[in-house]
Amino acid sequence: MNPNNPFSLTGKTILITGASSGIGQGIAIACAGQGAKVLLLGRDADRLKETVKLCENGQDHGFLSLDLRDELQINAELETFLKQHAPIHGFVHAAGVSPTIPFKVLKEYQVQEAFQLNVFSAISMIQVLTKVGIKSSEGMSMVMIASVMSEVGEKGKSLYAMTKSALVGMVKSLALEYADKKIRFNAISPSVVNTPLSRNSEYRKNEAAMKQVLEQHPLGIGEVEDVSNAAVFLLSPASRWITGENMIVDGGYLAK
Amino acid sequence: MEEKFINLIKEALEIEDREVSLTDKFKEFDEWDSLALLTLIAELDDNFGVTIQSEVFENITTLQELFDHVKNDQ
Repeated sequence: MNPNNPFSLTGKTILITGASSGIGQGIAIACAGQGAKVLLLGRDADRLKETVKLCENGQDHGFLSLDLRDELQINAELETFLKQHAPIHGFVHAAGVSPTIPFKVLKEYQVQEAFQLNVFSAISMIQVLTKVGIKSSEGMSMVMIASVMSEVGEKGKSLYAMTKSALVGMVKSLALEYADKKIRFNAISPSVVNTPLSRNSEYRKNEAAMKQVLEQHPLGIGEVEDVSNAAVFLLSPASRWITGENMIVDGGYLAK
Repeated sequence: MEEKFINLIKEALEIEDREVSLTDKFKEFDEWDSLALLTLIAELDDNFGVTIQSEVFENITTLQELFDHVKNDQ
């Protein structure tokens, strides 16, 4: 730990999923900016290379093209990759889908797909990351990107809310289960942030719905940096006494 | 097929208090919103095996026009 700057990530290696775009990419850039070596996971190798180019000290970082819907890939390829870069000090699970599906027509395969990417892949990765030979003996910080939908509801978002609530529930129990190993678990729950994912949302196609979304955010819609700065804090020694927390980052969305 | 289509519209939009006809302008229904659109697309796929893109709905007004799309796409 840099005693002069507890927010520094110098000397730390951080694994980030969903690093090809949006919040995951923003977190990778922010972590590298604070001195971390970042390891990026995503489906598209070319887009991961683009993220590396956007990061400071690009030569230090690593990436692995991986389909998080494939459990076998996670268990085999990820473990080999992480052993090459161990010890790992932090993990951010930013990969995810945000389906809008009326409950009336929700199908089991859609539930399975959303849970696989948003939740099950995180479970598999945490199990690999906490193995001896991969985890840092100094301790670790794991950050799940959840959503304000883990706290409040929205029409058509039951599946999304279920997956994000699962992540929040998970970090609370894992915070207790791993405290003696100095591994902290927290979630960040953003509201609407300007990302490719949110720009394709249903409400963006409807002027009245968009106006309503803006009115619900006293500080306006968020930018990726608003979430990535929160992630840097939770990954850094500055938050060493914080675990099992769901940090709301929402421009005042839940304040009412 | 027309009866099945009308019943599907009533079921998808949860219309219980009145009859629905092909001449109705469905986007003027109180029940119509973005979620109803997604429900209708999924129900048409499940029951008629047709995938109608949401953009198609921007250019049609009556249930007859929607019914014609369903018939043509089958």
